[in-house]
Amino acid sequence: MTRTTTLAISAVLLAAGPARATPPDPAAVKRGEKAFSRYCVSCHGTEGDGRGPTADWIDPKPRVLTSGVFKFRSTPSGTLPTDADLLRTITNGLHTTYMPRWAATTEMERRDLVQYVKSLSSKFKEEEQGKPIAIPPAPPMTPQLAQQGKAVWDKMQCAACHGDTGQGNGQSAATLRDDWGNPAPPHDFTRGPLKVGDAPEDLYRAFMTGLNGSPMPSFADSIKPEEAWALVAYVRSLRKGD
Amino acid sequence: MRSPARLALAAAVLAAASRAEAFPAFARKYGMSCSACHVAWPIFNQVGQNFRDNGYQFGLGKDDPITLTPGYIPVALRTTPAYTYTRVTNQETAQGPATIQQGGVPLPPGVDILTGGTIAKDLSFLLVISGFGPDGGASVESGWVRFDNIAGTGWLNFKIGKFELDEPASAHRGVSLLYGYAGYGAHPQGSLVAFDMGENQVGVELDGHDARSSTRYSLSFTSVNGHEGLSGNAWSSPMVYGHVQKAFELDNAVLPWVRVGALAGVGWVPTAFKQDADNNDIPGTGTDHKTFSRAGAEASWYLGYPATPAFFTVAYIYGNDSAGVIPVDPDGATIDPYTGAELGGHSNSFNSGFVEVDWVPVSEPRYDATPWLIFGRYDVVKFKKGTGDTDGATLGVRKYLALGPRAAAAIHLEGHYDKVKGIGFSDTGAVKDVETTSVLAGIDFDF
Repeated sequence: MTRTTTLAISAVLLAAGPARATPPDPAAVKRGEKAFSRYCVSCHGTEGDGRGPTADWIDPKPRVLTSGVFKFRSTPSGTLPTDADLLRTITNGLHTTYMPRWAATTEMERRDLVQYVKSLSSKFKEEEQGKPIAIPPAPPMTPQLAQQGKAVWDKMQCAACHGDTGQGNGQSAATLRDDWGNPAPPHDFTRGPLKVGDAPEDLYRAFMTGLNGSPMPSFADSIKPEEAWALVAYVRSLRKGD
Repeated sequence: MRSPARLALAAAVLAAASRAEAFPAFARKYGMSCSACHVAWPIFNQVGQNFRDNGYQFGLGKDDPITLTPGYIPVALRTTPAYTYTRVTNQETAQGPATIQQGGVPLPPGVDILTGGTIAKDLSFLLVISGFGPDGGASVESGWVRFDNIAGTGWLNFKIGKFELDEPASAHRGVSLLYGYAGYGAHPQGSLVAFDMGENQVGVELDGHDARSSTRYSLSFTSVNGHEGLSGNAWSSPMVYGHVQKAFELDNAVLPWVRVGALAGVGWVPTAFKQDADNNDIPGTGTDHKTFSRAGAEASWYLGYPATPAFFTVAYIYGNDSAGVIPVDPDGATIDPYTGAELGGHSNSFNSGFVEVDWVPVSEPRYDATPWLIFGRYDVVKFKKGTGDTDGATLGVRKYLALGPRAAAAIHLEGHYDKVKGIGFSDTGAVKDVETTSVLAGIDFDF
């Protein structure tokens, strides 16, 4: 076998191998470990396995970062989040959870934390990170649109988990578990914003990407974008106040 | 300066460092390690500063007590059993000037009891009771209520009660257990003013900040500490004080963060009193208020990565006590011992400052992530006229035994030396300085 042939075969093997869209940056990972130790280990644990000393009593449980499974993404169901997704969660925190808003830390620390979090899961070395879904411009959230959204709500059987009034008390609610066997109660749409944010786009994104690791599926293959916006309008109409 | 005042000065500066606030009840409430909010307990980082500015809230639906487990109690205790040694030169005794040494472990060591947090959304409070030391006494060190995020904006918050002014470096969250910031409580020779910027003041404060506390302001209207109840005025001894800060991120791991700030304040204290039959001033009769003022600037920065920084603070404070608050002392306490000039009836001023570094050398992948703090500080006060020029150096190390989401403990070793010019006791007419050397070794415990 000639050297040229060997190189050609190697090139083919490399091309067919794992995609590495944005592997963790080693320098940032090294710095990020320091920030992770300072800010994150009490919940996520020293290994990122979600077994910090606080994990036993907080609800919902901290993310098992070693799993590479993330609820809050802009990417299709089952794919890895983008760096921007991870940065958004770290920066803004998650409403009604014990994940605080880390916006007051320096942006450099937060970017380094993203790289360190990626380094905790082999998935980021083995799989390509997902591409953000397209979110069309939000239409006006009118009562008429909300009415259309009720039909989508019924079509997708949202009430089975979230209940007829969106209070998170559907027939299946008590039985729902996440991928780690922890109770995963459906969101109560009548009280406050989603964990990930309060913008219409946050709801749209959740409907069309699903929440990996939780029972909330993606509707991307089942409804059209205009139906998703109608569902957003309906769900927002269920709000009774914070 | 007469002997009691001299001793009081040494005691006050030393004691000023011993009332630091830190609140592990918040760590328990949110499940976060102390290191999340503190460069090194008890010094705030930006997360801690922002949390405090927000009214002890993260704003994600887990702040209101009604959202918490019923078992949560917003109370924390801090105590620091320690061996302390102090050596002070040129003190007055019947046998002439003498060096006084004291050492031992004060028992009981004293306790700070803190309760604070949110009463409801955007309504926060803090109550600190300090004392329970060898003399058994206790007092309300701090107690306030704050209306947060008025009209839905972080730029508008209103606090009422007894609280710490917003300072270049908090005197109540300083790491030194031996020595307060000398410039905070400095006064010219013979001044009647008792104001100490590091002491909590009674009054109201309007303050605000942006979302990340990068830009902050505070405007306080208080009654000057040390003059409470003395004045015949409805607002006792008024003081107006303001402080602004602006932080910048430089996006590099060498000098990632810099904050600059400026302060200014002016106060009025009574200078004339009705007197009782024994010629003692009668509280509540003070009139003829005269002014003193303070102005300054500071810069703080992280040298090195923010998670393991050397946190520097440099502050400059200028002070001026007007002629009216430095009356002629008939016993000669306002005679400048260096020039023989009468300082009473003349204004006097000072330049002061400090440089402090609090260095967290390592961050380790464990629950007590930042196990070491090495700190040092240099204080300086220089008066335009008279005695009291001060140079002080403080050096220490803390080995954190616990910094987890429940409690904190640290072995604290610290040494301090300062020289205050011209205040030593002399029976020969020679001008003498007072040198103070102190050492502390103990365990700082916060639960």
